[in-house]
Amino acid sequence: MAIEKILKDDASEEKGERARMASFVGAIAITDLVKTTLGPKGMDKILQSTGRGHGVTVTNDGATILKSLHIDNPAAKVLIDISKVQDDEVGDGTTSVVVLAGELLREAEKLVAAKIHPMTIISGYRMAAECARNALLQRVVDNKENAEKFKSDLMKIAMTTLSSKILSQDKEHFAQLAVDAVMRLKGSTNLEAIQIIKKPGGSLMDSFLDEGFILDKKIGLGQPKRIENAKILVANTAMDTDKVKIYGARVRVDSMSKVAEIEGAEKEKMREKVQKIIAHGINCFVNRQLIYNFPEELFADAGVLAIEHADFDGIERLALVTGGEIASTFDNPESVKIGHCKLIEEIMIGEDKLIHFSGVEMGQACTIVLRGASHHVLDEAERSLHDALCVLSQTVNDTRVLLGGGWPEMVMAKEVDELARKTPGKKSHAIEAFSRALVAIPTIIADNAGLDSADLVAQLRAAHHKEGCNAGIDVISGSVGDMAELGISESFKVKQAVLLSATEAAEMILRVDEIITCAPRQREDRM
Amino acid sequence: MAAVTAAQPRSSKTESYVDNKRKEDIRQANINAARSVADAVRTSLGPKGMDKMISTASGEVIITNDGATILNKMEVLQPAAKMLVELSKSQDAAAGDGTTTVVVIAGALLKQCLSLLSHGIHPTVISDSLHKASTKAVDVLTAMAVPLELSDRESLIKSASTSLNSKVVSQYSTLLAPLAVDSVLSVVDPAKPDMVDLRDIKIVKKLGGTVDDTQLIKGLVFDKKASHAAGGPTRMENAKIAVIQFQISPPKTDIEQSIVVSDYTQMDRILKEERNYILGMIKKIKATGCNVLLIQKSILRDAVTDLSLHYLAKAKIMVIKDVERDDIEFITKTLNCLPIANIEHFRAEKLGHADLVEEVSIGDAKIVKVTGIKDMGRTTTVLVRGSNQLVIDEAERSLHDALCVVRCLVSKRFLIAGGGAPEIELSRQLGAWSKVLHGMEGYCVRSFAEALEVIPYTLAENAGLNPIAIVTELRNRHAQGEINAGINVRKGQITNILEENVVQPLLVSTSAITLATECVRMILKIDDIVNVR
Repeated sequence: MAIEKILKDDASEEKGERARMASFVGAIAITDLVKTTLGPKGMDKILQSTGRGHGVTVTNDGATILKSLHIDNPAAKVLIDISKVQDDEVGDGTTSVVVLAGELLREAEKLVAAKIHPMTIISGYRMAAECARNALLQRVVDNKENAEKFKSDLMKIAMTTLSSKILSQDKEHFAQLAVDAVMRLKGSTNLEAIQIIKKPGGSLMDSFLDEGFILDKKIGLGQPKRIENAKILVANTAMDTDKVKIYGARVRVDSMSKVAEIEGAEKEKMREKVQKIIAHGINCFVNRQLIYNFPEELFADAGVLAIEHADFDGIERLALVTGGEIASTFDNPESVKIGHCKLIEEIMIGEDKLIHFSGVEMGQACTIVLRGASHHVLDEAERSLHDALCVLSQTVNDTRVLLGGGWPEMVMAKEVDELARKTPGKKSHAIEAFSRALVAIPTIIADNAGLDSADLVAQLRAAHHKEGCNAGIDVISGSVGDMAELGISESFKVKQAVLLSATEAAEMILRVDEIITCAPRQREDRM
Repeated sequence: MAAVTAAQPRSSKTESYVDNKRKEDIRQANINAARSVADAVRTSLGPKGMDKMISTASGEVIITNDGATILNKMEVLQPAAKMLVELSKSQDAAAGDGTTTVVVIAGALLKQCLSLLSHGIHPTVISDSLHKASTKAVDVLTAMAVPLELSDRESLIKSASTSLNSKVVSQYSTLLAPLAVDSVLSVVDPAKPDMVDLRDIKIVKKLGGTVDDTQLIKGLVFDKKASHAAGGPTRMENAKIAVIQFQISPPKTDIEQSIVVSDYTQMDRILKEERNYILGMIKKIKATGCNVLLIQKSILRDAVTDLSLHYLAKAKIMVIKDVERDDIEFITKTLNCLPIANIEHFRAEKLGHADLVEEVSIGDAKIVKVTGIKDMGRTTTVLVRGSNQLVIDEAERSLHDALCVVRCLVSKRFLIAGGGAPEIELSRQLGAWSKVLHGMEGYCVRSFAEALEVIPYTLAENAGLNPIAIVTELRNRHAQGEINAGINVRKGQITNILEENVVQPLLVSTSAITLATECVRMILKIDDIVNVR
C-alpha cells in the first residue's frame, strides 16, 4: 500500500537522528562563528552588506554579528534569538550566551551518540543549571550599603565590559563616562535620557559627557544664539501653511486682487498661528517639521529662538528631558506643558555647530559626545558604550556583583562536578557534561588570547580546588591571577541570564526530533 | 599595570599566536588590499609628487594631487581598503592637510605588521604596542614643536606655502599662501580665538584668467550677473541692500486656485490688477530707500517676472536673483542685515549698507561685487581664477588645504619642521625607546619606528633622489642631534629644514600618526568577513 502524501510538494521533513544532527550542526556552526570575538583579546569581524551600497561594519558585538546573518537553519535561529533577548534584557553577554549554549549542545551531541536519551540529558542539565546558579548566589558580593564601594564596583564592571571592545585602550575614560551617566539616572533604567552623539574627527579620548541635551541642528536666521532661563515649546506642526487636505479643493475667483487677498489671508493665518505660539510665553520653539522663511522671520522679530526640522528622536528626547510635551495645536496655552532649561547656546564640536540645552528639568539627562577617527570607529564605540550603559543600569538595580575572567564558570563547574559525583544514574553523565561546557568558556578566552588554554585551565581548576579562591585568567599577563586584585568584575544579573537562557535554548534544541520545513510561499514571477 | 610588568618574562612563551588558516588568509587579504590603496597614492606625496588623473563613471576628468580626493573617487570595494579611504577622509576633517601622508603611514605600518604576524605575534599584542608607540610619538612631536604667535604672519605664510608646494598650483604659492592666511585671520572671532569656521570663507570659482588673478575680496561676490532684462542699473554707489525671501510676482495661494474670466473686459482688469499689485510692492520697497535687491530662489513660483523686473529697473533698483537658500545665512552675516520674508516687514533697519555694488566683467563672464560693506561680519570671499576647469578645481582644493593648515595653527599654535624631519626624529627616538621595553612590545615598537621612515624615503624617491642614501644620511644627522635636519627637495640635499622655511602645523603630524595607528589597529583585529543582508 502506497503511503499517502501528507505534506505539500516543496515541504520537507527530517526525522530522528537526521533532525537532531541538523540542529547540532547549525548551532555549533553559529557558535564557532562568534567564538573568536569572546574575551578581551577577541577579534573583530567585518560585516559586509550584500545589499545596496555594500556598507561595511566592523564589530566585536555578538548580538550585532548574529542579527545581521543570513540563516536558514532553525536551530541556529534559536541561538540568534537568545542572543537578541540577552541584548534586550541585560545588554551584555550576548556572545557568551551563544557560546555556552553551543558548548552545551556540543557536549549533548556526544552523549546522544553514546545512546543517552535526550530527556535524560535535559533533566541532568536542569539539575546542573540550578546547582550552578546556587553556587553563584553563594559567592555574590553585594555592596549596596556602601556607596563608595558600590561605585568602584560599577567602575570595575564597566572596565571589564569595555575591555573586550574597541574602547579597551581608553577604558578608564569611558568607564568613568558610563558610570557618571548611569549614576545620574538615579536607579532608573531609562537609557533614553542618555543621548549619544557621534561626531567624526578627533580621537576617542576626546569624547566627553555633558549634562543636558545637545541637538544637532541649526538656529534660525537672525534669532538669538543664546537664551537664559529658556521656556521651550516642543511641537510637531506644519509651519509652512495649513493646507486644506481635501483632494481637489480649490478656490475660484474672478480677479487678481482676490488671489492677492487669499494669499494675504493665508499669510495672516500663519501669522496668527505664530502669534498663538508666541502667546505661550516661550522664548524657544522647536518644531519637527520645516519652518518656512516667513514664520522664521516672525519668530526672529519676536526674539524667539526657532529650531526647525528636529528629527523625531530629537524632539521626543527633548520633550522628555525638558519636561515639556509635544504640542500640535496651540489654542489652549494653559493646557500645554512647556519645557524649561537654564541655558540654550550654540556650541561647536569639531567642524559642526550644535545647540546645547543645559540645566534641563530632568536632572538625569545627559549627553555623551563620542569622537573618533571614522564612522566605523564611532559606530562600534557607540555599541560598546551602549553595552556598558545597559550593564551598569541593570547593576544599579540588582547590585550583586561577581568576579570575572572565567571565575564564575570555574566556581559553577566545581559545584556541578560535586553534584555529578553525588548523583546516581545516567543523569550524572549529563551533569558532568554541563560542567565541561562551562569550562569551555575560560578555554575559549585563553585560546583567543593565544595562550596555552589546556595548561591555564588546568591551573585554574587546581586553584579553584581551594575554598574561597579568586583565581581567573589574567589575559594580559597570560597567567592565572587573582580577579579581585585585578579588579575584574561582572554583574550577577548578566551571568545568571547567560546561564539560564543558554540552558533553556540548549534544552529546546535537544527536544527536537523532527524538523518540518514548510513549502515556501509561491511568489509570482514578475521578472 | 603591576601585573603586566610582573609577568613580562613569561610573555614570550605564552603570547605566541596559533590560529587557523582561514583567519590568517582574511587578515592577509585585508592587509594586502589596504596596502595596494596606500601604494596607489604614494607617488603623490611631497613637493615633487605626481598627480593622478581620474576619470569618473560619468566621464568627468579630475586631475589632482590631493590624497583625500583621489581615494574618494577611487570607489574601492574591499572593506579593508574602504577603511583606508575613510581614514583619509577623517584626516581631511581633522586637519585638512596630510591626507596622503596618513594613508602612506598606514600602508607602511601594515607592511610591518605583516612581518610581525608571520613571526607568530598575536594581533592584539601588536595592536596594543602600536597604540603605546603612537602615544609616545605624539609626545616626541610635541616636544619638537615650536610655539607660534598668531601675530607672526611670516610663519603662518611659511606653513601655508609648505602645504601648497606639493600641489599643481605650487608656483603660485607666494600669492595663495598670504591669501589663505589673511582670509583665516580675518574670520577669527576675538571672543573665541581658537575657533575658526571655514564656512565663513566663501570660495567663488570663475573660469578665465590665470591662477595669478585669484584675489581676496573684502566683501561679497556673486557668481551671477545682475538682472538686465529691463535695463536695470548694474552699478550702485551707497547701496542699501535688502535680502528678500518673498517673490515679486503675481500672487499665488497655497490652495489651488483658478481665475474665472467670463468676458473680455475682465481680462484687461486682471492685467491691470496684476500691474498694480506689483507696483504696490515695489513702491513699498522703494520707500525704505533700498536700491539693491537680493532675491532668494523659489521653487514654488517665479521669484521675479519680466514685469516686475521692468518696474524695478524703472525704480532704479538693482536686482540679483536666484540666490540659494543655503547662501542666505552667509550673505546676511556678511552684510550685517536680516532676511525679509514678507513685504509687510520691509523696513529700513533690516537693510545692509555698502559703498559700492557693481557688476564686473571678467573675461566673458560677469560677476557682482559688493565692497565697502558697513559693519561687515567676520566673513571673507576668495575669487579663484584659472585657465580651465581642472586647474580651478585643483586650485580650490589646494586653497582649502592651505586654509585648513592655517586653521590648525589657529586652534593649536605649534609649528613643526617639514621635509621628513619629524618622522626621522620619531623613528630615531622610538627606536631608542624600544630598546628599554621588554618582550614583544619592544619588537613591535621597533617596527613602528621603522615604518615611519617611509615618509622621508618616499619624499626622496618622488623627488628623484637616491632614497637609501638620503634616509641613511638623515639618520646620521639626527643621531648627531640635528633634530631639524630634513630633505630639501629643491636643492636635493639635506639641510636644516626650519631654516628653509619648510614648516607645517603640529596638529597635522600628530593627527596623521594617531589616526593611521587607530586604523591599522582596527584592521589587525579583524579575523573574518561575514556577508550579511
